[in-house]
Amino acid sequence: MVDFTLWDILRNLLLAARWTVALSLIAFVGGGLVGLGLLVARIARWPGAERFVAGYVQLFQGTPLLMQLFLAYFGLALFGVDTSPWVSAALALTLYTSAFLCEIWRGCVAAVPRGQWEAAQSLALNFSEQLRHVVLPQATRIAIAPTVGFLVQVIKGTALASVIGFVELTKAGTMITNATFQPFLVYSCVALMYFLLCFPVSLTARALERKLHDRR
Amino acid sequence: MRIEFDFLAVLAQWPLLLHGVAWTLGLTAVSALLGVGLGVACAWARSQGPRWLRWVVGAYVELIRNTPFIVQLFFVFFGLPAAGVKLTPETAAVIAMVVNLGAYAAEIVRAGIDATPRGQFEAAASLALNRAQTFIHVVLPPALRKVWPALTSQIIIVMLGSAVCGQISTEELSYAANLIQSRNFRAFEAYIIATGIYLLLAIGVRGLLNWFGPRFIFGGRRG
Amino acid sequence: MTVADPLATPAPHAGLTDAPVVDIRQLRKSFGHNEVLKGIDLQVRRGEVIAIIGKSGSGKSTLLRCINGLEVFQSGSLAVDGRPLLHDNAAAMRELRQHVGMIFQSFNLFPHLSVGRNVMLAPGLVKKVTSTAGEQRARQLLARVGLAEKFDAWPDQLSGGQQQRVAIARALAMDPAVLLCDEITSALDPELVGEVLRVVESLADEGMTLLMVTHEMGFARKVSDRVIFMHQGRVHEMGPPEQLFGQPQTPELQQFLSSIS
Repeated sequence: MVDFTLWDILRNLLLAARWTVALSLIAFVGGGLVGLGLLVARIARWPGAERFVAGYVQLFQGTPLLMQLFLAYFGLALFGVDTSPWVSAALALTLYTSAFLCEIWRGCVAAVPRGQWEAAQSLALNFSEQLRHVVLPQATRIAIAPTVGFLVQVIKGTALASVIGFVELTKAGTMITNATFQPFLVYSCVALMYFLLCFPVSLTARALERKLHDRR
Repeated sequence: MRIEFDFLAVLAQWPLLLHGVAWTLGLTAVSALLGVGLGVACAWARSQGPRWLRWVVGAYVELIRNTPFIVQLFFVFFGLPAAGVKLTPETAAVIAMVVNLGAYAAEIVRAGIDATPRGQFEAAASLALNRAQTFIHVVLPPALRKVWPALTSQIIIVMLGSAVCGQISTEELSYAANLIQSRNFRAFEAYIIATGIYLLLAIGVRGLLNWFGPRFIFGGRRG
Repeated sequence: MTVADPLATPAPHAGLTDAPVVDIRQLRKSFGHNEVLKGIDLQVRRGEVIAIIGKSGSGKSTLLRCINGLEVFQSGSLAVDGRPLLHDNAAAMRELRQHVGMIFQSFNLFPHLSVGRNVMLAPGLVKKVTSTAGEQRARQLLARVGLAEKFDAWPDQLSGGQQQRVAIARALAMDPAVLLCDEITSALDPELVGEVLRVVESLADEGMTLLMVTHEMGFARKVSDRVIFMHQGRVHEMGPPEQLFGQPQTPELQQFLSSIS
């Protein structure tokens, strides 16, 4: 039987952690772009946008991420698209992130006082000028802390991609456990690595939140 | 290219689905009760307890909130036996869910407690209530009422998160869907139906909790 | 409704200069099933200063907000400078709002822009004024309201009275024909009210058309040409200040005046 050192375990986990980071960033950025589009559609009151986006958000917030991953994986395969776990995971996580970010940002826009809209309207600004020069700058400031905070959820969400076979940190942990028969040690290391990824982000989000409230 | 869907093949297995739903709801109910209880205890410890306890609770909360639930679950089910604690899948699932919800509930309830107006403490003190009585009868009910929506949302999140427990063979809804699709190869249909059921459960449980809270825990429009 | 002012209805075949700058006829507005304005008739001449008084809930603010389109009315007609108000026509509304300015009770300065940029924003975007011209005009207007040195300050660094004066400068930057003032001193500490009222008085002296919803009775008495008392969604009494304050005709106005003195 091969003896595995702690360093062997850590090295393999670290290599897999790269994929966790990559998937998180893709989902976060992609989800942010899609979410922004959904938000604009909702604010600008394009026909049917309100109902569609509300339903979209309800769908992703009211169902397990695991199911969303399964549906992406098996659904894409149905339509003949050659899916790897990587593509399905990226797709599912991007849509998941877009729904949550859209909802977070909608709350931030709603937090801008009505008087700001009215003052801008009274000055003869049209809707896109009101949004661009008065409302969005204020909403963005409010949105920074919760958006950064959601990155933590995305990183944790990538762990579920292991179930559809994507080899990121959690899947590597499972594989190494099967090889070394040391689940306590291995999963402790896995948890520690997620903690090292997420905790700084959580702290940053909290610091940003405090900074926002101090300025008021 | 023709895609054929066969939803009936999945729906025909409704006993399995029902069994899964029952388990999901059961796991959620037990975890909600114990998890919120744990959260309240932690919130109390963080506002009233000694310094070292505050640190321990703080570390627990940060650890849970910054690691994925699936890793916590695997740690409990696979990791603990290596340290001598053997668990059934169901027990492991409940423990992981309670520990997970407890950490989030601790933060949520703490926010509610921190928002208690100073005057409430002063009134309780002048009525000669001790610290425990003040906490249970004066501070907690309005705090829970204030944070009930957030707490409800967190319980829903835990319920949806329980889908992962199927991976350690807990016989809840996602496990049922897995089982069905392994038998009739209707993976997409099975997961669509399971997802739809989860959505209905989420809506239903939210409604139930919104009804339950005011009635039994913190009293309707009073306070 | 008791009307003492024969100038309330314009004479037929009036010349262009006699045309009312704000012409409201039979205006009705409801919020859901609650009718808040029950048929308002009002013609405002250019350069006139009108104070609108009344209990809360009488519809004063709603009337003002109808004039610049912040509230949509259900029936009746409203025209500013001869142009009728068309709610669903974005271009028409944009045109209208360049002729009507509004000052709000809660100032509503843009917190993410400096004082100077607050004043410069709308002329730059709507009237396509160049930034040098815009800056020059902004400095001029800020000097006009007594805040020349605050061009680079931020709104949250100013007192309430200063913020409101910036709001006035901001509205004036668009060269409006009419200024709507919606309880502009109600949110101010008493010692800051004077500085704002002085600016408004100077605007009135220069011939600006003003419609003010106000609780400052002394000021209304001093500065306005006409006072309108609104009660339950109608113009209840209307007339010159000496008459309305000195000889209130209806019991409602008498009761209102005694309750606030």
